[in-house]
Amino acid sequence: VSAPDDRVDVLRALAPRVLGILVRRYGRFDACEDAVQEALLAASVQWPAEGMPESPRGWLVTVASRRLADQLRSEHARRRREDTAAAQVPADEAFAPAPDDDQPPEHDDTLTLLLLCCHPALSPASQLALTLRAVGGLTTAQIASAFLVPEATMAQRISRAKQSIRAAGGGFEMPPEPERTERLRVVLHVLYLIFNEGYIASSGSVLQRGELTREAIRLTRAVHTLLPDDGEVAGLLALMLLTDARRPARTRADGTLIALADQDRSRWDRAYIEEGTALITDALARATLGPYQLQAAIAAVHDEAASAQETDWPQILALYELLARVAPNPMVTLNHAVAVAMVHGPRAGLELLATLDADERMAGHHRLEAVRAHLLEMAGDHAAAGAGYRAAARRTTSLPEQRYLEGRAARLDGGAPAAT
Amino acid sequence: VKYMLLIYENANTRQTFLGEEGETLMAEVDAIMKELTESGELVGGEALADPSNTRTIRVVDRAPAITDGPFAEAKEHLGGYLIVDCESPERAAEIALRWPSARFSPLEVRPLMDTAGAEM
Repeated sequence: VSAPDDRVDVLRALAPRVLGILVRRYGRFDACEDAVQEALLAASVQWPAEGMPESPRGWLVTVASRRLADQLRSEHARRRREDTAAAQVPADEAFAPAPDDDQPPEHDDTLTLLLLCCHPALSPASQLALTLRAVGGLTTAQIASAFLVPEATMAQRISRAKQSIRAAGGGFEMPPEPERTERLRVVLHVLYLIFNEGYIASSGSVLQRGELTREAIRLTRAVHTLLPDDGEVAGLLALMLLTDARRPARTRADGTLIALADQDRSRWDRAYIEEGTALITDALARATLGPYQLQAAIAAVHDEAASAQETDWPQILALYELLARVAPNPMVTLNHAVAVAMVHGPRAGLELLATLDADERMAGHHRLEAVRAHLLEMAGDHAAAGAGYRAAARRTTSLPEQRYLEGRAARLDGGAPAAT
Repeated sequence: VKYMLLIYENANTRQTFLGEEGETLMAEVDAIMKELTESGELVGGEALADPSNTRTIRVVDRAPAITDGPFAEAKEHLGGYLIVDCESPERAAEIALRWPSARFSPLEVRPLMDTAGAEM
């Protein structure tokens, strides 16, 4: 007898395989995707009541094929072209499972599906939603709940995404190089966004959203299994593991945020840290360097320190210097400035930070004001630091961040000793 | 990111929408609502009753104090809202600009607070 979690895992892992089989057999990605979603829903109702079928994949392929036949038949009926339609309606036999359904498929279609769901014609929000449904095997209701929108809104977003892919001529095939590599970068970015959505969710309040980290790690692990030599895939997986390891320590029971320096490191997940560190060490030794690998390496240095005071800041600074060269962006500059401050003092960090004032993407951004306030506090300028934390608190649209920043400002008002 | 579009009205806005031009204006509203529904951006929205139906609630010295009418007389009042989930603040502003009442009275576009947050 399988535990409910096992059943969910089996279903979600099978989702892209079943979808791959259907699309290969019948074409029409959009219709097949709907049919698989219905089959997954049917399984989630029937399997707990009647037990897991002997061949879960064969069961899903059969049920999804029938749903597809029903769907196409009603489409034909709607078109009211009885004569021709009758000839076109596929007979039920055409949708019976082929004898090879229980054999492992020659191709694992997960990667092809990911590339299609992360099609460049789609907005990031649509890429996320479609990836979670078609590849992750999540239901529309679960995705809607994770992104805090009504189910109808999410259903519409997914259906629009599939229309856009069709309009853009996106096909179910591996694109040739160099397009394939470019499109894989988009896939990795989407997986990173899914992870981050789950990671920043406040613990306890919205469980569904927090589950996204698990989904992102599961999908990235699948891509890593398919492309073991890609250093950036390994780097992204390592980054997720090394970041998620800290999740149990990043908030208090009431959802208040705890800064990295103040976290109880005994609550970090050692197994994730070991796995992530091994992955990134191996990737750095043999793959072409890239931004995910560098971010994972930085996370590994933080995770290896037994206490905040023992953090190897010179090494982190060296990694940020590399990252700023490989993938310069304002968020990297922000974190780079913190590393500079930790090694060369707060004034040096503030100088680097000042270069962002002219950057339109960052002017008045709450993260810029928060980091500046932190460095001013380190420099002993408590009045300016307090004003900076308050400015950042007003700018953020996150409730926990607002509470945290107000707390930092209030601590300075009270004259309590500055946190390190 | 989710944004609320606060739709302000003045004394004449709703009369205009119910008058001769009304049908054309409401057709514009319907078209935008259809577009937002189909794109998966629409989260919700409602119109509010006329401000004369308002009751203002206060607690003064721990005692309830209820008065009829809005708490502040103003030339413009909140007439309704839309909540949209869109890619950028520019897109939210674009929706607000096309909302037909914008030609008579202003809209405000404000991001919603999120319960998620990153540690710093």
